Amino acid sequence: MKHAITVSVLLFTLGAATGAGAQTGNPATMAPDTPANETGKPPAEHSNTADQLFVRQAGLGGMAEVDFGKLAAQKASNNSVKEFARQMVNDHDQANDELTPLAKANGVPLRKDFDMDHQVMRTELTKASGNEFDVAYIRGQVQEHQKTAQLLEWEIGSGQDPRVRNYAMATLPTVLSHLRHAQMIQSELTGSGPPL
Amino acid sequence: MSNTWIRVAVVVLTSVVAIGSVYADPLPPDATYRPLPTLPFNNVKTNDEAAKPQVMARQRALLMERYDLSDHPLPGVMMSGGRRPVQGGVRVKLPKGVTWDQLAAMTPDEVRAKGLLPAGFLPLPHVKQATGGQVFPDEQINEIQKQEQRNLRRFDVDFDLPEYLTPEFPAPIFLTTHPELGDVSGGHLLTIKDYYALMVGIITPVQMEGLRLLLTPFPQEEFNQTEDRKSADQSLGVACLDCHQNFHSNAAFHLTPDVRPQADRFRLDTTSLRGLYNQQIHGSKRSLRSVEDFSEFEQRTAYFNGDHVSATRKGVNLPDRPNQVAMMAQMQNIIDFPPAPKLDAFNRLDPAKATPNELAGEKVFLGKGRCVECHAPQTTFMDNNMHDLKLERFYEPGHTANDLVMLPDGPIKTFTLRGIKDSPPYLHDGRLLTLADTVEFFNLVLSLKLTHQEKDDLVAYMLAL
Repeated sequence: MKHAITVSVLLFTLGAATGAGAQTGNPATMAPDTPANETGKPPAEHSNTADQLFVRQAGLGGMAEVDFGKLAAQKASNNSVKEFARQMVNDHDQANDELTPLAKANGVPLRKDFDMDHQVMRTELTKASGNEFDVAYIRGQVQEHQKTAQLLEWEIGSGQDPRVRNYAMATLPTVLSHLRHAQMIQSELTGSGPPL
Repeated sequence: MSNTWIRVAVVVLTSVVAIGSVYADPLPPDATYRPLPTLPFNNVKTNDEAAKPQVMARQRALLMERYDLSDHPLPGVMMSGGRRPVQGGVRVKLPKGVTWDQLAAMTPDEVRAKGLLPAGFLPLPHVKQATGGQVFPDEQINEIQKQEQRNLRRFDVDFDLPEYLTPEFPAPIFLTTHPELGDVSGGHLLTIKDYYALMVGIITPVQMEGLRLLLTPFPQEEFNQTEDRKSADQSLGVACLDCHQNFHSNAAFHLTPDVRPQADRFRLDTTSLRGLYNQQIHGSKRSLRSVEDFSEFEQRTAYFNGDHVSATRKGVNLPDRPNQVAMMAQMQNIIDFPPAPKLDAFNRLDPAKATPNELAGEKVFLGKGRCVECHAPQTTFMDNNMHDLKLERFYEPGHTANDLVMLPDGPIKTFTLRGIKDSPPYLHDGRLLTLADTVEFFNLVLSLKLTHQEKDDLVAYMLAL
């Protein structure tokens, strides 16, 4: 993580980070191994534990989103659900591509297997069919996006690496928009009241 | 954990799912609890001091982009103590190519789709959102240093608004128990040093003890003895009236202490304590039901950001309910509004005393402007309710400005409008700098379509309250 100079150079050339939004110096979150701390300006590519944990959790969520999306695009009976699922595959594929180099730079390679909670969700989805599947998928999506929004907000507030923080800032509006979309579909499917 | 155990666990979890699951995939604990410091104090201080000019420049840039910060007082209009002129004009800047009237003619969806909500109407970031905490204006810092040799200056941030856009200092103090005396502050700031000399013979023993407690500094999140602080020296702490100067406000700000975890906290402007005796709910979002509850619980909130875990090691002070809390409450409950000679007993304008503009403003206030629906004159311009203006109808939530994520505010308490000219900036986070700004804000948010004349009349009316 501390030596990923080539990765960070690459990222900068991709325009992934400008550091403009970063303000570190909170004693509760700045990593003790932050170099150059006498100047008050930690190097732009340096991360703290919040960055690392964020990348790990976001990676797990992102991978599951694509997998569940593919499953739902195939298995869903409702057209809104199918369309939403395709959008999830598309958007999260892109987000995962952006996250991969950040994960490497933070020394937290993205996992290829599901964590237990997403495995449980997947098992549930595999067993369900018809309207039951649609509802289960969308309910899961609502909760996933609620949690992801909080995770992104946490990284924006607690992270140190401007590349990761900028990723979180850029991703959050989309996640909130997905959340609203999923809630609308859930409301259609279940006859519940309007989400907002 | 062996593979067998994982398989067992999966089976167990799967069977839980079958009967209605709650996924056990928690967010990081630090998303709720404040993590403990990781760096030595001197290290933090050096970093923060080096970063401070950049932090302040960034905040200044945001303020300049959103507002006209110039010094333009309304001719002849002073705050109640006669120490500071009231600023005038609309200060929120419009997006390019649109007028206030054009904006007011659009639907919320249209404003949102075109991204035309003036940035000054959005939540106002704390000067350093990631760290947050109490930030005091220079006037307060200097006077407390002079009287008490107590340091309220932070090494990481400074106050961000010009003095002329904040309440007068020191503010006058009016007591419900002594309407005949008028301002009893003598032009001084109440501190632990001078309160007794200023108030003996004027207040009761119980009120005096309440006042002493309200002026006694106690350890606070950013001002304490530990390495986890933002004052250069080991701080003696802060007092309630360090923000509520002379029971009013000095516009010191904070992050809302305990309604959301750190990442989603929003800026909170200090509210005035004038007229507290008529308030039935306390705290902009907490809706505490008595000033006793509020005074007692502030040690958990304003002082320690709602994190009792972090507070314990810094030395939390918990006042005892039947004595200390009651005395603090009794003192706060005798703080009156400044006199408003044009208002009658039910807070309606006396036509014999009010100007035609003010009377026209009252008519708008009670009618087309819909102000009265929350700010009811009879109940000192409050309704003792919280309301959600749903500002997010006008913007896309989730964007970040100076590290503050723009999220819906949700329901916020109705604040009184009595003596409102004394209390800039406005709204719970101080995002509006003048009364004219508040008129434009509500004209848009409530789709009122007020004319220029009606807007001017409303401002004239509010100046008379």
